[in-house]
Amino acid sequence: MTYFFQLVVSGIVVGSIYALSALGFVLIYKSSRVLNIAHGQIIAGGAFIVYALTVFLGLPIYISFVASMVITFFLAMSVERIFLRRLIGEPIISVIMVTIGLMSILNGVIYLTPFGSMNYSFPEFLPTTPISLGGVSISWTQLMGVVITAILIGAFSWFFKRSTIGISMRAVSDDQFAAMSVGISVPRVFGLAWAMAGLSAAAAGAIIGNITGLNFETLGAFGITVFPVVILGGLDSIIGAVVAGVIMGLIQQFAAGYLDGNWGLNGTADVLPYIILLVILLFKPHGLFGTHEIERV
Amino acid sequence: MKRNSFGYLVVVMTVAAGLAFSAPAVAGETYQLGMSLAITGPTSDAGNPYSKGVEDYINFANDTRILGDAKIDCPIRDDMYETAVTKRNFEDFLDQGMIFFLSYATGANQALAPDFTEVQIPVIPASMDSSLMKASPYIFLPIASYSHQYVGVAEYVATHHKGQGTAKVAAFIHPSAFGRAPLADFKAAQAAGMKLDLVEVVEHGTDLDNSALLQRLASKGVQYVLCQTVQSPVATLLNDAQRLGMAAKTFGEPGKITFMGAHYTGGNDLIALAGTAAEGFHWTTSYRVTSEEGPWTDWQLAMAKKYARDDKTANSHNYACGMMAAQIAVEAIRRTREAGKEVTRATLYDTLNQMNGDKAFESLLAVGRMTYSATDRMGVDRVQLYVVKDGVFRAVGEPFRLKYMK
Repeated sequence: MTYFFQLVVSGIVVGSIYALSALGFVLIYKSSRVLNIAHGQIIAGGAFIVYALTVFLGLPIYISFVASMVITFFLAMSVERIFLRRLIGEPIISVIMVTIGLMSILNGVIYLTPFGSMNYSFPEFLPTTPISLGGVSISWTQLMGVVITAILIGAFSWFFKRSTIGISMRAVSDDQFAAMSVGISVPRVFGLAWAMAGLSAAAAGAIIGNITGLNFETLGAFGITVFPVVILGGLDSIIGAVVAGVIMGLIQQFAAGYLDGNWGLNGTADVLPYIILLVILLFKPHGLFGTHEIERV
Repeated sequence: MKRNSFGYLVVVMTVAAGLAFSAPAVAGETYQLGMSLAITGPTSDAGNPYSKGVEDYINFANDTRILGDAKIDCPIRDDMYETAVTKRNFEDFLDQGMIFFLSYATGANQALAPDFTEVQIPVIPASMDSSLMKASPYIFLPIASYSHQYVGVAEYVATHHKGQGTAKVAAFIHPSAFGRAPLADFKAAQAAGMKLDLVEVVEHGTDLDNSALLQRLASKGVQYVLCQTVQSPVATLLNDAQRLGMAAKTFGEPGKITFMGAHYTGGNDLIALAGTAAEGFHWTTSYRVTSEEGPWTDWQLAMAKKYARDDKTANSHNYACGMMAAQIAVEAIRRTREAGKEVTRATLYDTLNQMNGDKAFESLLAVGRMTYSATDRMGVDRVQLYVVKDGVFRAVGEPFRLKYMK
């Protein structure tokens, strides 16, 4: 039974990190209907900024973590202002193509720094002894990941439901022209969506980097790794990202714990989430919590 | 008068033209090499310091006139780990008159092997995949293949395991030919008599938490995990093993799992990624490391200082790999010249094939002598076991030859 509970805890931990990583996709899609293909690069960038501030500038890591979120907030906002603002009103596919280009540009920029091709790890700042309860253990890094994810997701959920700007963002997501007609600044909303996505990506990058170490390929690949989570949860649903993240995390852990290594099976933890994703999409094409849009012809 | 001036002008121009065309001969010959590797993109954490090693050694050879008046020109191009780009670079280099090619990835070498054979050009790859030696007779591995290194750690376990019965091992491998080929050679060594019980083969993904895997392996009685992949997944595995209290800090520690691996699983990059969780990790390669005192460390660090490299590069075994690849090429050219032969692809190939017996090449950077012949395409055939102790790799015993793999 301890084994089962360990898998549950590990699944929730991994799922939380998936959810936080997926949040950036959701925030941008929710307001602008655009999929940001460069999200993985922003995750990596956030992690590298934390490292640079901590090791190169000597700031305490907690301050670096917050500062990194602030920096990526403004960086992502600038990216939107420079590259995407002009594309408002253009076909969505054009905007997505720009994010593909952006991915290449960010790759190039990161390769110009030592982070592009060197491996690093954050200085140890948390106790290395794990927290154990009844044989089930969780590291401080993992616990911190779950807590930060919970705080950020709670904050964003509140923001979209209760704040005026959040409601404006949802209005823009529903209908840009209608939102403009009631005085909402669509460009401002888009900029803010990108900024918040940048902020969440920095948090995700710092947490993943603390688990895997700072390797650009590994961190950058997370943009793609969490894609099934985004699709399963529904592209525009924050709660969907959380539920789908945890589902994916649990499936992976149970597959690794009970299927892999038995009956000649191997690698099911990597394949099973996609199989389940396909099955669920057969019945719920917009994901578990995605908005089902009805188009009147 | 006018006619005399014209004649004078013709003489001056003829002399000037003659001097201009004879200038290269005065400056000495230039030998054209070429290198294509991943300075950016996947595996660039290895490719970047590797390229610096090549660049520095070529500069060193030119600066210290190892080839006398002759110079080496070795353009280094980034291929971003893409075979199509490697091929384009290779063809461009051929157009420039390349006589020796320094290549990189397993896949690109396999794809280009027929081209190497067709144009008969000697090649030193950064990949130590054993299949490359069969793919083209023109590919020369600098050190023991991945298979040799992997079977090397396995043999060490079989020989030094203190517990009762046969040691139980699990293979943790990259889900590609890079991971699978050494495992196939591991199984061949088992068939040849290496006594180990292979309990499970794990082809890893991008796991953020390996609790399930580690607990499953522990429940099956696995005592050693032998890794053949890159550093990042090993670092995550080690972190989780440390959290679960499963990682052995000394070889074969009872009730724990000893983690071991070949070439690209280790080096300072692993310590950079895993931190204290890397303690007790055992690693094989045929290179010396700068955490061990010796003339190789002094020389490698002096080279890095001379060419203004940062500490990370200076202490990287990939920097040493790059320097040694360039060293082999330069040595082949030097010996060919010394023999009074014209330096061509064919004569360099012959020189490399004669690098054995009393003509074997010794590099400070490797743990053994480098030998090549028509039937031997693996330079250094000994491997050295290292272990992470107090945050650095330390040698365990002496370099050894494999018993169950030739």
